[in-house]
Amino acid sequence: MAAVQETIDQVRQIDVDQYKYGFETAIEVEKAPKGLSEEIVRFISAKKQEPEWMLEWRLDAYRRWLTMEEPTWARVDYPKIDFNDIYYYAAPKSASGPKSLDEVDPELLKTYEKLGIPLKEQEILAGVEKPRVAVDAVFDSVSVVTTFKKELAKAGVIFMSISEAVREHPELVKKYLGSVVPVTDNYYATLNSAVFTDGSFVFVPKGVRCPMELSTYFRINEKNTGQFERTLIIAEEGAYVSYLEGCTAPQRDENQLHAAVVELVALDDAEIKYSTVQNWFPGDKQGKGGIYNFVTKRGDCRGDRSKISWTQVETGSAITWKYPSCILRGDDSRGEFYSIAVSNGHQQVDSGTKMIHLGKNTSSRIISKGIAAGVSQNTYRGQVSAHRKATNARNFTQCDSLLIGDRCGAHTVPYIEAKNSSAQFEHEATTSKISEDQLFYCLQRGIPEEAAIALIVNGFVKEVIQELPMEFAVEAQKLIGISLEGSVG
Amino acid sequence: MNMQTTSRLTAAESALIDAYTGQLGELPGNGAVISARDRLVDDLKTNGLPTRRVEAWHYTDLKTLLRSVPMDAGTGSADAIEPLVAGAHVIGTRQGQIVGKPSVEGVVVGAFADMLREGTAAPGLSVIDRDDTIGKINGSFVRDGLVLEFPAGVTVEQPIEIQALHGAGQAHTRFPVSFGAGSKAVVIERHAQTGEGSAFVSSVSDISLEDGADVTWIVLQQQGADDTHLGQVRIRVGENAKLKLFVVNAGGKLVRQELRVDVAGEGAELSLRGVNLLGGDTHTDVTLVLGHNVPNTNSTEIFRNVVFDRARGVFQGMIKVALDAQKTDARMACNTLLMSDDAEFAAKPELEIFADDVQCGHGATVADIDDNHLYYLMARGIPRNHARAMLVNAFVAEIVEELEDEALVEALEGVISTWLAKHA
Repeated sequence: MAAVQETIDQVRQIDVDQYKYGFETAIEVEKAPKGLSEEIVRFISAKKQEPEWMLEWRLDAYRRWLTMEEPTWARVDYPKIDFNDIYYYAAPKSASGPKSLDEVDPELLKTYEKLGIPLKEQEILAGVEKPRVAVDAVFDSVSVVTTFKKELAKAGVIFMSISEAVREHPELVKKYLGSVVPVTDNYYATLNSAVFTDGSFVFVPKGVRCPMELSTYFRINEKNTGQFERTLIIAEEGAYVSYLEGCTAPQRDENQLHAAVVELVALDDAEIKYSTVQNWFPGDKQGKGGIYNFVTKRGDCRGDRSKISWTQVETGSAITWKYPSCILRGDDSRGEFYSIAVSNGHQQVDSGTKMIHLGKNTSSRIISKGIAAGVSQNTYRGQVSAHRKATNARNFTQCDSLLIGDRCGAHTVPYIEAKNSSAQFEHEATTSKISEDQLFYCLQRGIPEEAAIALIVNGFVKEVIQELPMEFAVEAQKLIGISLEGSVG
Repeated sequence: MNMQTTSRLTAAESALIDAYTGQLGELPGNGAVISARDRLVDDLKTNGLPTRRVEAWHYTDLKTLLRSVPMDAGTGSADAIEPLVAGAHVIGTRQGQIVGKPSVEGVVVGAFADMLREGTAAPGLSVIDRDDTIGKINGSFVRDGLVLEFPAGVTVEQPIEIQALHGAGQAHTRFPVSFGAGSKAVVIERHAQTGEGSAFVSSVSDISLEDGADVTWIVLQQQGADDTHLGQVRIRVGENAKLKLFVVNAGGKLVRQELRVDVAGEGAELSLRGVNLLGGDTHTDVTLVLGHNVPNTNSTEIFRNVVFDRARGVFQGMIKVALDAQKTDARMACNTLLMSDDAEFAAKPELEIFADDVQCGHGATVADIDDNHLYYLMARGIPRNHARAMLVNAFVAEIVEELEDEALVEALEGVISTWLAKHA
């Protein structure tokens, strides 16, 4: 079925030329020399005042990276990246170290204000009914500020930039870094391991329910830079944490690389909820510029009865190459993946998830909605596998696509692998219209067709939207505000 | 994507290349055919057999799985077998070559060997794409096959059974078949090992349905327990043509059955069905690439797999909807029953859609037999084993029953229950 007018209008509102976050902050920066070499890796490590073992870790990754080849299996097309034409480190001069909010450059504060990110704790506190969110703000290669650190520390929660964590909690970083995404996992993960500059570190100790939402806001500002963020979240036995991630970048003619690695570790009975609203600059109408978002995100349900849930709303980036995954290692562990990916203009999205069932009685759920407009290509690529010992593994997958216009493409590439007879896998994918029955039910009760479609679709999108934390859901809804009439049923 | 640099050939690769060199001068073909064959073998020499890094062969790493290739047994013999349906027109090949002078009333029957000698076969020997390993192997070695031409408007009442039989050794056949406008027929393409020892078989059926043709094409694969079967069916479906394609895999050690379907005429209607019975220590791969290339066509695909013992099954099904193929309606389902803890199944149902006003969907399930169903039967006094067999039978029989011809349904059900009796 062709998309209804309402959907078309709403998609147009978030079309690539409507990008609201394309401004640039004029600020003095300190950059590493262009290009990539062992010297640059040493430079970054030195800038971060890292211990020797961290430098060795990076150098090892760099040497391995040199021997690897760029992957080409994804359904994306882009000119070869010149890895020597990128600045691997760029930091606002004024933000050379961790600071209290009063010391942060007002230019930076203005930037975040413009982006609508609350960095002032008192302001947030003033509005009592407002939910509180602790924010780690990463600007190009450095974290400029982390809010609510003290209050979180009272609960025993560690929330800081990864650079600080390397210095202050080396034992934790050493233990968990690279334990979910090994150094040589893939081309971009290895590159990231060598040159990662900043990102967030979260540690929630045993039995603690993190008292507020944690959030990191990534902003690429400088020209010709790549952003290599590294995030590590650990939830000990029985802990709970909800983490949000947002990203934007200025409007530029050149493509910029963002190659992040995110690792989640959930021990027995722990739960991690990771939500992303990805709104990197998608390039202009002609497909010029935009961010290459080549990201490795993986969660390890290491403990029994642990749970990891990924929710993503993807609207930005020229190219997205991203598969937030769950390794269901612990018995009775659970993985979830909820995704809405909207592609417009010349955007190319190749995204999905992996659910690797290793433990007994593990279950996973995948709900993915792809919407393609303009001349974009939108691919869902997902893998569900049950290991020989994963008795009673369960998976339910639903991925639906909607095409708006006749110059875009929607593709579904699921890999379903069962090596255990007690596994139960169900996979469903459609690009069909709304269920006739549901529509008939509404029409019969006197609801006009358009309203009925909106009603059914709203109920349907909620499946994904409701997985987002409240304050994010509002943003996501604003960002998307689309009906998905092609996907019910 | 498929960059492969093969520095060393595997035993099977060398055996294939040696077999080709050994047969130089013997393989039928004029200059054009010989140079086409040379190109294919060269390709094999440089690129080798596909590995799991080649997306189209992700779950069937032929380089690893194909350990050895038997020597070509030349013109070995194989015993004839009873046709599936009594009264069918039986024609066929023995060890890859036609025996005698086959004929079917109302149909023009020729020998593919003649096409090779005359050179008219040369264009058809080219591969569909670079991952078309079956096309490469078959094109290199094919000696013979049947050429069938159904004149426009002809209706053949009785089914035609093409028996591709062989003993040990190699057999490579090709069947170019054209169904004229408005023609109607049921064809059974049956591959079976009737001798002993291991065989290496490749077969390509190159089929076209002209406007309004109404065809039921059944592929019944009953190879021996040590055989490698590389089968490919290429079909072009014309305007308002109706195709029922039915694939039954009930044999072989290493099997890859490819279905490459090009829906090329508006109003075409396709029903693709498959039953895969897997047991022992075998590997069976059914790969479907279905291209809806014009507006207003519809297709349904249902594949049912039952996996016993240590068997590994693969289903790859890709539905492609071209830019101007508006109003396409395509639905695919792949359901698998894993009957043993050592059984494995991998499914990759893909959608590639470029038209916006379409209805496409796919579903895939993998599960064991439903305990509730089992309980229902056992509560009525049916022993566990028997109840399981009944449920498995029902699971696949449902598909077979869609073929309306009663004799045919009965015959295929017979094949299935015989197989299940042996393996379940």
